[in-house]
Amino acid sequence: MVNRVSALEGHDTDCRFGINDAIAVHVREIPNLVLFQAAAWVDSMSAVESAISSSAGTNFAPGPVTAATGTNGSLLRIEPMKWWLYGITAPELPEETGVTLDLSHSRTHVRISGPQATTLLNRNLPLDLSEQHFPVNSVASSSLHHVGITLWRSEHGYELFIPRGFAVSVWEVLMQSAAQFDV
Amino acid sequence: MSGHRIKNGGRIDRSKPINFTWDGMPRSGYEGDSVASALMASGDMVFGRSFKYHRPRGIMSAGVEESGAIISIGEGDRKDVNVKMTTQELYQGLVATGQNAWPSVRFDLGAINNSMSRFLVAGFYYKTFMGLPPFEWGKGTWLWMQYEKIIRKAAGMGESSREADPDHYEHAHGFCDVLVVGSGPAGLAAAQTAARAGLNVWLVEQDAEHGGSLLAESSDTERTAALSELSDLGVTIMNRTTVFGLYDYGVAGLLERVTDHLSSADPRLPRQRFWTLRAKHTILACGSLERHFAFGNNDCPGVMTTQATRTYLNRYGVLAGEQIVLATNNDSSYSTACELARAGASVTLLDARNQINKKVAQKLSAANVDYRAGHTVVKANSGAEGVSSVLIGKANGSEWTATDQLPCDLVALSGGWSPLVNLISHRGVKPVWDPSTACFMPVDSSEPLTMAGSAAGIWNHDDCIKSGHSAASMAAKSLGKETTSVVMPATGGWNSPIKPLYEVTVPGKQFKGFVDPQHDVTCEDIRLAHREGFVSVEHLKRYTTLGMATDQGKVGNIIGIALMAEALGCEIPAVGTTTFRPPYTPISIGALSGQSVGAHFRPLRRTPMHNWNLVNGATMTEAGLWQRPWYFARGVETISSAYIREATTARKSVALCDVTSLGKIAIQGPDATEFLNRIYTNPFAKLPIGKARYGIMLRDDGFVMDDGTTWRLGESDYFMTTTTAHAAKVMVWLEELLQTRWHDLKVHVTTVSEQWAGVAVAGPKSRDTLLECVEDPGVMENAVFPFMGVIETTLKGGIPCRIARISFSGEMAYEVYVASDFSPGLMDLLWPIVQSKDGCLYGTEALGALRIEKGHVTGAELDGRVTIEDAGLGKMASPNKSFIGSALRNRPDMQRHDRPRLVGIKPVDHNFTFHAGAILCSEDKVEGLGEGWITGVTHSPELGHWIGLGYISGGHEAWYRKRAIATDPVRKGNVEVEIISPHMIDPSGSRMYG
Repeated sequence: MVNRVSALEGHDTDCRFGINDAIAVHVREIPNLVLFQAAAWVDSMSAVESAISSSAGTNFAPGPVTAATGTNGSLLRIEPMKWWLYGITAPELPEETGVTLDLSHSRTHVRISGPQATTLLNRNLPLDLSEQHFPVNSVASSSLHHVGITLWRSEHGYELFIPRGFAVSVWEVLMQSAAQFDV
Repeated sequence: MSGHRIKNGGRIDRSKPINFTWDGMPRSGYEGDSVASALMASGDMVFGRSFKYHRPRGIMSAGVEESGAIISIGEGDRKDVNVKMTTQELYQGLVATGQNAWPSVRFDLGAINNSMSRFLVAGFYYKTFMGLPPFEWGKGTWLWMQYEKIIRKAAGMGESSREADPDHYEHAHGFCDVLVVGSGPAGLAAAQTAARAGLNVWLVEQDAEHGGSLLAESSDTERTAALSELSDLGVTIMNRTTVFGLYDYGVAGLLERVTDHLSSADPRLPRQRFWTLRAKHTILACGSLERHFAFGNNDCPGVMTTQATRTYLNRYGVLAGEQIVLATNNDSSYSTACELARAGASVTLLDARNQINKKVAQKLSAANVDYRAGHTVVKANSGAEGVSSVLIGKANGSEWTATDQLPCDLVALSGGWSPLVNLISHRGVKPVWDPSTACFMPVDSSEPLTMAGSAAGIWNHDDCIKSGHSAASMAAKSLGKETTSVVMPATGGWNSPIKPLYEVTVPGKQFKGFVDPQHDVTCEDIRLAHREGFVSVEHLKRYTTLGMATDQGKVGNIIGIALMAEALGCEIPAVGTTTFRPPYTPISIGALSGQSVGAHFRPLRRTPMHNWNLVNGATMTEAGLWQRPWYFARGVETISSAYIREATTARKSVALCDVTSLGKIAIQGPDATEFLNRIYTNPFAKLPIGKARYGIMLRDDGFVMDDGTTWRLGESDYFMTTTTAHAAKVMVWLEELLQTRWHDLKVHVTTVSEQWAGVAVAGPKSRDTLLECVEDPGVMENAVFPFMGVIETTLKGGIPCRIARISFSGEMAYEVYVASDFSPGLMDLLWPIVQSKDGCLYGTEALGALRIEKGHVTGAELDGRVTIEDAGLGKMASPNKSFIGSALRNRPDMQRHDRPRLVGIKPVDHNFTFHAGAILCSEDKVEGLGEGWITGVTHSPELGHWIGLGYISGGHEAWYRKRAIATDPVRKGNVEVEIISPHMIDPSGSRMYG
């Protein structure tokens, strides 16, 4: 099998910024994304919810703009009738229940963590990311340097899903901004 | 003026000297100095030349309103012009230079303008545009054309660097409950109250240090105690940050100067940061500005505001003069007079009011201040180094009678205080004139916006603090927090009322008094504007340029309005005030663009084969945001020879082209077929699984929106491709239809443009090429995989793929799609096989040549103005079904037979060429909009001459055996052309089916 080639091929995709050993922000690509979409119909929401939560190993399917993580993978509610399944493939759904789609190659997954992660993101991202307004498992569609992205705050940090074609552009902007945390 | 540093005091660090240069001369100051304070301490006097008359200018203030000491900072590519010396922090090695003067600000040949000032009055430009009076009246502007160049050269202040800006800038976003603008007594108090109530507070200060007017006080305890409490409460405390504008819904624009005060900043730091701050409540404690007033030569070096002398003394440890005449009309100057006297100056205080309160008089006497009530300055006399004496006068009704001369080296003025209503004015709040305090007062806003301190017209220090607490408690209450209410103190607060004073006039005498020193607007200019009918405040501003300099009227507006009111014989409110607009102080263009410069001007969109294309010799071009291969030159090939070779190869053998940029949309659900049948003009109800169909979609108004192919992958699963240009538009359109018109349809649309990478394999040897790539060669048989067929199969190396046999080039061709991360692998698989067949790679230039030869339309032809018939695709509009646009496309005008129709174009003389964009005219009428236009041109390798596509009235049938002229007056001139069918090669399509 041919190997997957990342959109960030040729870049150092694991970068820590900070003074000496004190890491202010850690930006890295999580390669080989596995991402599926499951979409329901108005009258089949609960059937899709139960199918995907059993795939992910969660007790429930998350509501709008939130996420839930189970034993197998995570679920992100990205639209009123659509979920993303992160880290797992989608279950088979009969067409009267819903439809699924493989989006694993459509996004580049970048994780930003560390004490200055919010500061770095807010250089370009116009969302209030304070704990009060954007706690863990919040999900948002927003934009970063003119590029529409999906943002999920996981237990590991901020998970950015960048449309693959824009990944290099966004990565370079993030690197330029992050360099100041070395000073 | 002979300013000098005093031994003790001030906020400067005398143990840290800083060396810098002023106009090439070495100077020194201390850490904590501004350029102004350091140069004042060095005894320098003249720092600038005025805009029009080139009069010498010195320091007039200690802040952002500075109108005299405007200089250039830095050199080479880091040169900033029109920097206010009063706000520039000193750093080691700083290079300061004068501007608007030659050879220097101390001796400037341009000063000759001063002697011609009678001719350079307000409206000088406008009058000379109309001809030199009286010689050219009614005859035009011959003379103006002669000296326009000289004036253009003389105009403007300072000369910016012509090199690229080496610094970088960034944008940032912030969020808070309460934004407090200004950190003077009111701002500190407001931040304290809001933070104590548990709110998320930002305290933003434009200065390097917090404290506002407290920095001019001799004691520092109040300031430091407040700041340390705020920091303990977690308040975001920003300095060197200007709130330059207020916008809708609590949005404030902030400019943070990150490195402008450093001699060598780390290149990883941005020079400036442009903040968009969203606040639930905004408290404006931005203070007030002290006004000057007009008298003879009031612009001469050595005339400054009283508050400035206090700031220089207490903040910077500089005594601005030794023999000081302080002229005031209000209570705010007394303590400054005493402080200046105690610091060693000999001070004469002139109070325009007829009486001085006894207690005040005692204090003044005790401090050795000489004072005279009912007196003011009438005229300043300047020596070689600024002011040397003043003529003073005694009040005589509303005018003055000159009495005697007083020698002095500094004139300190206070003509009253103007609350800074600039920011609240950005929100559409119109300030109201208050005659009792002689200033424009802010009024209540309907937005969560509160004024506090002297910005609210409260003069008394304790009341300012109270107003800060009051504003914050209101904010806290509206945000649902419990606080003790504090009553907002009344405005004003002086013991004796102010005596309005805008201009000092002596009967029978003419003085040159300046209203707006930055733009050389004199009192006489205002009266001239009045005499010539420019009486509205907006006309006055534009005619005289009052308030149009870098301070945007902070200094001169009120005096100008007052003089106009006097000329009109009305009160100030009847004249009105101009609207302040952002930015409050100038901000750099670099900060506005942030990181959106150079390669990041717009985000670049790269296909997954981007690197592969580059490695294999691609020259890239932009297609919207996409980077696409333009051509793949070999050796010494030019773009022309490369694309001709590439197109020829595609027709003779096989060629590969990255077509990933096409829009791709997954259309899924039980009603997907019905949905497609409604949006496409041609029938889609019976498209079999494993087949693709070319489709056209119209807008509601019946014009063509986009074209593309849609592949049926399963019973309820389709894969649509769109043009590169319209990918997003089509996606949005489909989603809109589903969500607003047809929510009963069980269909989901999802963009998969980034999920799939595509390559076109075109040419007679394309099938042979793919035969060698697929694991099961059987799937490529013509019988099982005919033209417009679709298969899902596996390539060697185990790459899953979907292939459609479709052709944009007119040759036998396939589009092969694989998941994006596999596409470099796909190219590595295809390329050696293609090479073995003498094939090549091709880019958009050859792609264009191939499709023009075939008459295939693209974005250039489907430009939103064409009907399906215009594009020659009328047969694709089904008469048997209803689809989007099916009703309105039948409007009579859209069915006219003489509408411009798609045609092929070739030059009559095959050696000629023409350009896209040329206008097509009939032979006998080469003028106007003509009969049509050319949308795309190419050299046709197959035909051996240039061809084009375009539109012309009636189409090619109407032009049979008739010549047309392609007219292109600014580029090529006229070329005789023949109008032919757009299908210029293989019109029957036999090659595609082969």
